[in-house]
Amino acid sequence: MNRKVSKFLKDYRVILLIVLVAASITAISTMGIQQGLDLQGGSLIQIQLERPVDAATMNTVTSVLDKRLNIFGVKDVKVRASGDQNVIVEIAGVQPDQVADIVGKPGKFEAKIGNETVLTGTDIVSVQPPIITGNEWEVPFRLSTDGARKFAEAARGKAGEPVKMYLDDRLITAPEISAEVATGKPVTDVRITGAENSKAEAEVQAKEIETLLKSGSLPVKVKIVGVSSVSPELGKQFAEGAVIAGLLAVLAIAVILIVRYRSPILVLPIFFTTLAELLLILGAAAVIRWNIDLAAIAGILAAIGTGVDDQIIITDEVLSGEGRRTRRKFRIKDAFFIIFASAGTLIAAMLPLAYIGFSRGATGIGLLAGFAFTTVLGVIIGVFITRPVYARFIETFNVAGRK
Amino acid sequence: MDSTRVVDLKGGALAELTLEKSVTQAELESLLREKLGTGDIKVLSIRGERVTVQFGTDMDVVKVSEALRGTATINSYKAVGPVLSKQAMNQIYWAIGFAFLFMSVTVFIIFRDPVPSLAVILAAASDIIIAVGGMSLFGIPLSLASVGAILMLIGYSVDTDILLTTRVLKRRKGTINERALGAMKTGVTMSIAAIASMAALYLVTVFVMPEARVLSDIAAVLIIGLLADILTTWLMNLGILRWYLEVRS
Repeated sequence: MNRKVSKFLKDYRVILLIVLVAASITAISTMGIQQGLDLQGGSLIQIQLERPVDAATMNTVTSVLDKRLNIFGVKDVKVRASGDQNVIVEIAGVQPDQVADIVGKPGKFEAKIGNETVLTGTDIVSVQPPIITGNEWEVPFRLSTDGARKFAEAARGKAGEPVKMYLDDRLITAPEISAEVATGKPVTDVRITGAENSKAEAEVQAKEIETLLKSGSLPVKVKIVGVSSVSPELGKQFAEGAVIAGLLAVLAIAVILIVRYRSPILVLPIFFTTLAELLLILGAAAVIRWNIDLAAIAGILAAIGTGVDDQIIITDEVLSGEGRRTRRKFRIKDAFFIIFASAGTLIAAMLPLAYIGFSRGATGIGLLAGFAFTTVLGVIIGVFITRPVYARFIETFNVAGRK
Repeated sequence: MDSTRVVDLKGGALAELTLEKSVTQAELESLLREKLGTGDIKVLSIRGERVTVQFGTDMDVVKVSEALRGTATINSYKAVGPVLSKQAMNQIYWAIGFAFLFMSVTVFIIFRDPVPSLAVILAAASDIIIAVGGMSLFGIPLSLASVGAILMLIGYSVDTDILLTTRVLKRRKGTINERALGAMKTGVTMSIAAIASMAALYLVTVFVMPEARVLSDIAAVLIIGLLADILTTWLMNLGILRWYLEVRS
C-alpha cells in the first residue's frame, strides 16, 4: 500500500495537480475573486448609440460618459464599449434610478452667439474647479487654440451680447461677452461668471456649469435600452444561495454514487476531484480577473457536472476491466476517448456563444458569454488536469475493483 | 408559453420591490397606472414585503422610482427595449444553429461513420425539441438563461450517446446486448447524478431565492432535457445502432 501511495504521489500529473491547486488557493486568497454585479449588487446599463460608429468616436463616447459619472460622484464605475453601437455601464452598489438619471442625459454641449454655434464640447481642453466668492461664482476653463480662434472671431465687437450655452439643446446659461473678449484677440483661458441669490445657490450653479463643460460633447445621441439592477442585499442572497445549491448538488451526487457503487470510499476521490476542479476554475478566474456572476456560476456547475460524468465513465471502465493490468490500461484509454470526444462536442457547442459575447460585446445574448467561457475553461481544466489524476488514482489503488 | 416573464426577449421591464407600507395588489396597480399614465402594468406577485411588477413597455426607471416614492423601493430592475430584444432573438437563433452545426461536425470527426453520427445528432435534436416542448408545457420562458441551458443540454446529451456508440461499436468483448447493458448502467448513473444535482439547484433557487430565475430556469430545462435524454439514448439511439450492426453484418 505504501509503495502504491508513493508511486501515486510521484506521478507527474499528480504533482502538477497538487502544485496547481496550491497556486489556485494562493491566487484566490491574495487576489480574490471578482464578483459580478449580480452577486455584489449594482447596476448594469446598456446604452445604444443612434448609429454604429468608428473606434475613435466610440472612445469619445465612453470617456465622456465616464467623466460625467465621475463628476456626479459615482464611484466604482466601469464604462466600456460593446461592439460598435453599444456601451455598457457597470456601477457597483448604486440604485438604478440614480444611474439612469445621470447617464440618461446625453450631454451634447454647444455654445452659441446669435444663431451661430461657436463652441462644442470638443473645443474645451480642461476645466478648473469653480471659485465661489459670496454669492458670485466663477468657472475658469481652457479652450483649444482652434476653439479660441473660432470663438474670438465670432465674439468680435459683440460685447454685452449673450453666449447661449446649451446642454442637449436646452438653454442652461447665457453669460454676457465681456469687453476684453470682444476685441477679437484669441484667448485660450476663459471663464464664465455669474451671481445668484445665495452662496448655496451659487455653488449649485457653478457645479452645474463645471459639469456641463467637463462632460464635453457626445458625438452621437444615446438612448438607454436596458437596465438591470440588483441591490447589494439581493446580491449577497444570490451568492449564499449559490453556495447552498452547490453543496446540496454535491451531496445529491454523492448519494447517487453510494447507491450505485455501494462503496463510500469511492465517493471520496470523486469528491476531492470535484473540489480540486472548483478550486482550479476559481484560481484561474482570480488570475485573469474574470468576473464570477450568476452566469459564470451556471458555467462552473456545467463543467463540474460533466466532470462527475467523466469520473463515472472512468470508474465503470476500470470496474469492467478487472483482472489483468494491461486490460485496465486499455480500458482507461477507452474511457479517455469518450471523455475527449464529449469535451470536444461541448466546447464546439459553446464556441458560438463565446464568439458572440467577445465580438459583439455584452449586449443581448452576449451576457451569456461568461457562462460559455467558464464552461469551456472548466472542461479544459478537467480534461487535461483533474480527470487524468482521478484515472491514475483508480488505476493505482484499484478502489473500484475492491468493492 | 408564459408571456409574463419574457422580458429578455419581448421587451418590457420587470421590477422587484420591497414595500414600505402594506398595500393590496389592486391598490398598487392603480397607483402605478395613475402616476405613470399607462395601463400596461401588472403586479405579478406579492409575498410579504416582496413584490414583482411587470411593465409591458420599456419603462423609464427614474419615473417608476418617483411613482413608488413612499410606497416601495426598487430591489432589482430589468428593462429591455424592443430593439435590444430583437437583436437578442437573432443572436439566439445564430448561437443555437451554430452550436448544433459545430457539435455535428465534431461528432462526424470522432466517429467517421455516417449512421452512428447521425444517430447521435438526432438524439441531441430530439432532446432539445423535448426540452423546448417541456418549457412551453410548464411555462418556462425562452430567456437568455434557458438558451444557455439548451446549449448545456447539447453537451450532456452527446455525452451519453458517445458513451453508447463507443462501447457498442468499438468494444469487441461480449454480445451487442451485453455491451449496451454495460453502457446503459454507466450512462443512466451519469444522467441520474446530473438530474439529482439540477434538482438540488432547482429546489434551492425556488425556495431560498426566487429572484435568481437565471439558475432555476437553467435547472428546470436541464431536468426535462436529461429525462428526455434517457429515453432518446437508450431507446432511439440504441435501436438505430442495433439495426445498423445487423445490416452491416
